[in-house]
Formats: sequence, C-alpha cells, structure tokens
Amino acid sequence: MNDAVKTARASKNAHRIEGGIDAVVIGAGVDGLTAAAYLGRAGLRTVLAGAGPEIGGRIAARDIAPGVVGIDGEHLITQLDPEVIDDLDLYRHGIEFAARRLDTTYFFESGRVLRFDGDLTQAALLSLEDDGDREALEAFMGDVLETAAFLRPAFHPAGFPGGGDNYQRALEKTLGQATPEMAARIRRYLFATADDVLRGRFGDGPLRALLLAETSFRSAAAPNEPFSFMALLRRYAGEAAGLQGAAAYPKGGAVSVVTALRRAAQAAKVDVRAATPIKSILIEGDRVAGVTLLDGGQLRAPVVIAAIDAHQAFHEMIGPEIIDIELQRLLSARKPEIASARMQIILKGVAQDDATRKNMMRRLVYAPSPEALTAAFIDARAGRVPERLIVEAVFPTALDEGAALDKRQVMSIIAHPLPFDAAPDAARREAVRSAILDSIEMFAAGFSGRIEAEDLRLACDDAAVARASAGAFAAKPGVMQQWALAAAVTGSARIGGFYFCGPEAQIGAGLSCAAGRAAAKAALRAYKKGAP
Amino acid sequence: MNGQFDFLIVGDDEASLVAAAAAAKAGARVGLLAPADRRKRARAAAPAIPNFVWRRLELQEYDLTLEPVSARITLFKDGEPISSFANARETAGALADSDSPDHLVWRDFLDDMAALASDHAYGPSGFTRTVNGSGAPAPDSKAFAALLADPAALDRAARLFGPCTEILEDYFSDPRLKTHLAAHALGGVGRGEREAGSAELLTEFLDPDAWRVRTPKDGPALCVVLEQVCQDAGVEISADKPTQIAGAGKFAMVSFGEEEKVRVKHIFFATPDAARLAGAADRRGGLGQAAHADFTVRFRLNEGAEPPCGDARAIFQIIDDRDDLQAARDAALQGRLFDNLPVEFEFASNGEVIARSSFLPAAFYEEGEWRGWTGQDRQAVAAIIKDRLASRMPGFASLIRRTETELGAPPVGASIFAGCDRVIVQPRRHNAISAAVKLIDQVMAGDE
Repeated sequence: MNDAVKTARASKNAHRIEGGIDAVVIGAGVDGLTAAAYLGRAGLRTVLAGAGPEIGGRIAARDIAPGVVGIDGEHLITQLDPEVIDDLDLYRHGIEFAARRLDTTYFFESGRVLRFDGDLTQAALLSLEDDGDREALEAFMGDVLETAAFLRPAFHPAGFPGGGDNYQRALEKTLGQATPEMAARIRRYLFATADDVLRGRFGDGPLRALLLAETSFRSAAAPNEPFSFMALLRRYAGEAAGLQGAAAYPKGGAVSVVTALRRAAQAAKVDVRAATPIKSILIEGDRVAGVTLLDGGQLRAPVVIAAIDAHQAFHEMIGPEIIDIELQRLLSARKPEIASARMQIILKGVAQDDATRKNMMRRLVYAPSPEALTAAFIDARAGRVPERLIVEAVFPTALDEGAALDKRQVMSIIAHPLPFDAAPDAARREAVRSAILDSIEMFAAGFSGRIEAEDLRLACDDAAVARASAGAFAAKPGVMQQWALAAAVTGSARIGGFYFCGPEAQIGAGLSCAAGRAAAKAALRAYKKGAP
Repeated sequence: MNGQFDFLIVGDDEASLVAAAAAAKAGARVGLLAPADRRKRARAAAPAIPNFVWRRLELQEYDLTLEPVSARITLFKDGEPISSFANARETAGALADSDSPDHLVWRDFLDDMAALASDHAYGPSGFTRTVNGSGAPAPDSKAFAALLADPAALDRAARLFGPCTEILEDYFSDPRLKTHLAAHALGGVGRGEREAGSAELLTEFLDPDAWRVRTPKDGPALCVVLEQVCQDAGVEISADKPTQIAGAGKFAMVSFGEEEKVRVKHIFFATPDAARLAGAADRRGGLGQAAHADFTVRFRLNEGAEPPCGDARAIFQIIDDRDDLQAARDAALQGRLFDNLPVEFEFASNGEVIARSSFLPAAFYEEGEWRGWTGQDRQAVAAIIKDRLASRMPGFASLIRRTETELGAPPVGASIFAGCDRVIVQPRRHNAISAAVKLIDQVMAGDE
C-alpha cells in the first residue's frame, strides 16, 4: 500500500479509535524506523507515524537545482551502529558503500596541505616531512582508538527504564578491566580540554590545528572547555562500514540508509504511515495508552516510542504538568548557541586531470588555526558569524557513479561553528553563505567563479523538514551535558510503556540509529515480561 | 636539606604552609621551599582555616587571631553597591532591605550549592584513588559506572561542571545579585560565566571555608604563625631553589646546585601562583582550561583614602556589566587586553590597596604571532587597574604614593619540572587551605 493510499485512509478514519496495535512509534526519521523495525521483527503489531509527507525526517532527497538532486541531512556515515546493520540485515535491504574509508586531505590557513592515505586512524600520511610528527600522530591516534573503543559502551544511551542495573553492571565490568595505562588515560581525557591535550602532544604544529578541527567539528564545546576532548573519543568510538573511525560514503547518499531501514521495517510488517501527525500521547494512570492524532482519531497501544525531539515529545505531546520538574529544567536549561550549516554547491565543469579527479574522491577538511578557531567559537556564541570556519567537503558526484552529472559536480559541505539561530533573516543567511565560501576559498582559490547554483540549509531548515524544534538540530554540548540530557530523556519521565529515542538521546553527532535500537530493546524487554 | 622526603612543598603562601604542616603532623617527612624575598610584603586576605585544620595543627597553642573580612561588595558602574556576608541571614536581610525578591531563596540556594559541591566524587580525582600519573590503579569503575547509569547523578555532575550562568538563572531574578555572585566567584579565578566548569567555582566560592580572613594589624601575621607551626611539626624549611629535577620511578631526584640532592615522593604546589613563581606549569590537576595571567598592583597611598561604603575590611569587585566577565575571559583567550577589566581589590592591614585582575592573557597575540609580556604591557595594565579603582573611589589617583606590580603568568620556555610525573599542582581554589589539606591526605592515602 503506497503512502497516498494510507494518507487517504487516515483522513477517512478521522475521530476513529483504532485498537489491536501493540506499539506506536512517533517520528519517521532513522531512529523511528530502526525502533519500529526491531518491534516489528519481534512480532509486535507496530504503527510508525511520521508527521511529514515523506519518510526519513531531515534526511531526504530534494531538487537543489534544475536536474540536480541533493541529499539533505548527513553527507557521510561515521557512527552507524553495527548492531543495527546486523540485526536488521541492512546490507540485504540495500545499503552499499561507494567508499568505505575515505582518504582525507587537510588544508591549513598557512597554505599547507596534509594528505592522508586512509584517515587519521591509519595515519598513513603522504605529505608530512617530519618523522617525529608522524610518529607522534601514530602514537596518539593509537591511544585515541584504543581508549575510544574501550569507552564505546559509555556512549550508548543509558537511562531506559529497566536497563539501569544491567547497564551499570556491564559498565562496571568493562571499566574494571582497564589496565593502569588505560586508567590513567581515561582520567586524563575525561575532564580534559582538547586544547590542553593536543598542545601537550603536538605543540604549535599543523597536527594540533588538524586535531582541534576534528575534535570541535559539530560540537558546541569550544576546544578550550572541559570535556571537549571527549568529543574526539566519541567520534572515533564510532564505526562505518565495519571500520572504526572511518568516514564512509553510501551509494545514493545517506538517503539510502533511510531506504534500507524502511525496507527492513516493511519486511517486519510495520505499518508505515506518512502524513500522520500526532497531537498528543495518551496517558492513563501512570501508563501510556496510545496516541491521539491531529485529526482527532486515536491509536490505542500499550507501547509508545517517541523518535522526535524532546521538546515536542515531553512538552507538546505529554504536557509539562505530567513530567517532573527536574526533566523540565534540564530540557530548558541550556539555550543552544552553536550550530553547523549544510551547503550543497553545483560547480560548472569537470575535472581535467587525474590528480583533481582523485582529490574529489577524498574527504576535504579545512582546519583554521587554533587562534582562528578560538575566535570562531567566541564569535558564534556571541551571535556573530565567524570569519573562519571548519569546513568538511565531499563530492557525491565523484564518489558515487550513480550521482554523476554531465559537466557539473556537486560539492557537499558541512561548516562549523556558526551561531544557532531559530529564525535567521536574509542578512544572516547571506553572512553564513559568505563565511562558508570565504573559508573554502582559503583552500580552493577561485572556486567561487565556478559556482552555478548553491543551496544552504541551517539547523532551522532541517527542523522545518523534520517538523521538529530547531534546537534539536543545534550542535551537541559537552559530553557530560549530553550524558545528563540523554539519561534524563531516555528515562522517559517514568511513564510506563513510554520510550524516547529522539536526537537528545544520542551522544555525539551523525547518523547512528543506536538510540532507536536501545529504545526498542528496552520496550521489548518490558513487553516480554508482560509489563510494557 | 638532604635525604628522602615524602613531600617537597614549594611556596610561601598560607595554603603551602598549612599543607606542609598538615603533612608533617600526619607523619610525613616534609621539606618546604619558601622564597625568602617575598616574605616582607603585606598579604592579601587568605582563605579561612577550617576547624579540622585548626585542630590538626593545634593552632590554639599559638598566639593567632583571625578576623573574617566584613563583606563581599560589588561596585557597579551605576547604582548602589551590593553586598553579601558570611552569615546567610545577614545576606538575606540585606537583600530584603534592598527589595530584592531573591532574599527568599538565598538560604535554599546555599543549601543546594553545598549539596552539589559535596558530590566531589565526580571530580577529576573522584574516579581514582591516587593523584600521580604513574602506577595509578584502575579508575573506580563502580563510581564511574554508577554515575553513567544514574540520571540524577549525571544531572548533578553536569551542573557542577557546567557554566554557572545556568545555576544563577535558575535561582535568581535580580540581575545585580547574579552579577555580584558571578563577579566574586569568577573574578579571582579569571573564568567566564558561560564557560564549562565555572559552576564548580561558584559552589566552591560559597563554601564557608572560602570566606577570607586576615590577621589584625597589631597581631602576628598568619604566615609567620604558620611558619612556626611548620617548624614545630618538623618541616625542614629552605630558601634554596632547585636546579635540576629528574624522575626516578616512584621518586624524583631534586638537585640544589652541584652537591645537594634529595629524593622526594611528591613535589607539591598548593596554588598555581606558587607553581608559576617556581617556573612550573600550573595546568596539572585542574580541568585543563586555557591559561591566563594574573596581575596584582599594590598601591601605597597617602593619608585620607576613603574605602567604598566606608568599609576597609571588605573585598571589593569592580564590574560594569555582567557580560564583561565572559568578554574579559574571551579577550584573555585571544591574547588581548580588555578595557573594562573586572578588578578585585582590598585594603591590606598596612593601608595598602591590593588590586588584582585574573582576566589577562597568558601571552599576547598580535599580527599572527604570540609574544610574551613586556614592560609596556605591565604599565598599560597597571594604568587600567588604577583607572578602574579611580572610577569607584573619587580622588584615588591623587592619593597614590607608590605603585608596585606583580605578574603571574605561565612560565615560558624550558622548566626543570617538565616531564616529572611526581609534580602535583592544586588548581586555583577559593578554599585553597582546606582543599590543600584534603589533597595532601588523599595523596598520603594513595601512597599507603
């Protein structure tokens, strides 16, 4: 049954009460699809309700210029939960990687360029002349990878009802196995500022600027703040295409992950309903009883999983009078200050030589100087658009044969840090656009002359597509704050049968699906015990 | 000085002296390196000596009288000053008198902050049983795992190590009170209000052990008494400067010139100031925030200086606007001076005005290059601080007889302490004395 038919059926069913459902998942982004697929595979009759006309949330294919389809949301995969891939058999459902571990080229303010064959985790550096620096980087990344892998369980969402004791025991077992060296490293890295750690290892050289950029990218924690170094460990705790720390490009872009998840959900007999906005979550006594649709109908179910942002779920759908004051305080405590921006640029012409073609198949990162990065975070927090930004760029048209265009290339960019703005005006958009293009010009002089069209998306644009609160797409704060918020929201306000796996449940940025898996597993544990 | 020591404590400030005496009283062999050339200066008010330290050092046996500072006062650009006192009831009363609606929550606020600060198990040392890098056992896996599995504990830890802005906004509505608290909590430490970790400073600043004290003009100075306590406890005091330090397993070998060498288990700095004076990096042990410089100006005055609010026993903060704290910190991080510098000052017992700002860059960034402090920079900062005081005390500039400056900047270049993992530096703390004794105890427990 296609989406249009289901939408029509939904409108006919206005004010109807629909029963016989075991679980309702609200939100058709990747975590909602993941949670629904897990529930469906376990035999629960599951309805997935997405508010918008499309499935996928903010990750969607869209015409960004005549004849050019761009992919909104993520442009690389770095954190995709390997358990989800295995459990839901996503390779069978169509995920295929065009590049499993992208080579990376770093550009610096000084004009220097460092090329990595592979990425930092492999540290096969092509253009670093000083062997001492090379050895220092290899040793450091060895430490980072080992520590990140050791701490991986600590980055999983943790607060799900009924999971606390098991989770604590599992963590105790893991952490208790730390060698003295690992213990010393964790103690040093847990509270540390990235600036402090990296200055001690790399002095003022380009490797410090490079690693500061990698650490600060997509994080709201400035590199001179406590806990900021943990952002790097979080990044390298993830894996893509079976490779720890890799950045991978899937064929068809991130939207192919949505497609595969959707197929997995449908194979699990999940009833996927687009354009089915939810008005509220029904609470009866201290338990969830289903949801009320915007058209007045009801879906009655003993399990509800919210894969939408926390403000919508707790304030709008449950209501502040039901959630406790501490959760309310946490949800409103910190105003978002920092965000990233996504830009897709269509460039005229094709690469004339092999070297350029090879470069376009790499991940390109512009790393501002440490001083410029400090200034960028200060400016962004003060609401000003910084002069220099960290820029991550890839060319989907070069990486993915299926996306190739005739005599044109698409360059996909994420730039950071920018001021978070829930309602930016045209002047602000223009300032952001100029800052991004200026930063790209720092490593690709004259590139602006080849621009045929461009498409800028800020956090508020992603939120509009996903019908979410803009703050949900702001950059993630320091890891301690993320742990606290994730634990609180996954605690689900102690409403029986209710589970949360929205963006606030995830530690770190990127497409992960781990929160959806964890929410579904918590729901299934309770369901099997007869007390969802 | 020769042989083997458990602690070599470097510094002549009150926290160093108390730490040395406390360690010696607990049975450690302690050497104290105290530079002789700084002892004659008038001292700024010191952190309080808590009862447990008083008892352990048996200070009742000495002729020691301490007077708490009368108040913490903030002098704004416009409007009336605002004060807080050691006594919670007195502060609440003063807030009520000034029609601040926040007088109703003041006591709850103090209780909540004390409870938050007591969660020190989540601090940098909370997950480990020892302090030094080498040979540390595994982190306390139970504590770490329990923290990650407990939303309420995580919330408290996130608040404790978050920015203090959130806490102040959570409790208070009076913008002047929020500025007052942030200025006093962060002013002496040089941190921004929106900076992660500043909440911990706020809770620490509200600790009764952080209320500062002075000795009366006609009584013996606190550091003189503490030096006597050290000597009586068997601390070996020397003004020698170490010339070389080499790590040697569980010990460091400290050389004083050609002949003299001692083996020490721990080289201990009770304050970052002591570490900087000795040329040691001061970033160990804290949360590793970017370094800043402290600048102190001592003004000798002619007769007739009138303290603000007529109170010569208070600690004063000068601030124009609440945003200045973060702006000043941002400027320091970027290697430039901030004109509306937040300044702390007090009247010492000899009549000097001791003014200090911690919102100064560790080094200056100009035209794409970092450079160290110059004489011109010192003059410029001294002039800013003088102007700041003059803005709150009319006629102040005309009363200045002599000015003396002291820069506390992170050491530049090679340090004999670099690479030695037996070095412990306590980060800057409002309750430096009580924290130093607790840290000494923790280190000794780890040695056992």
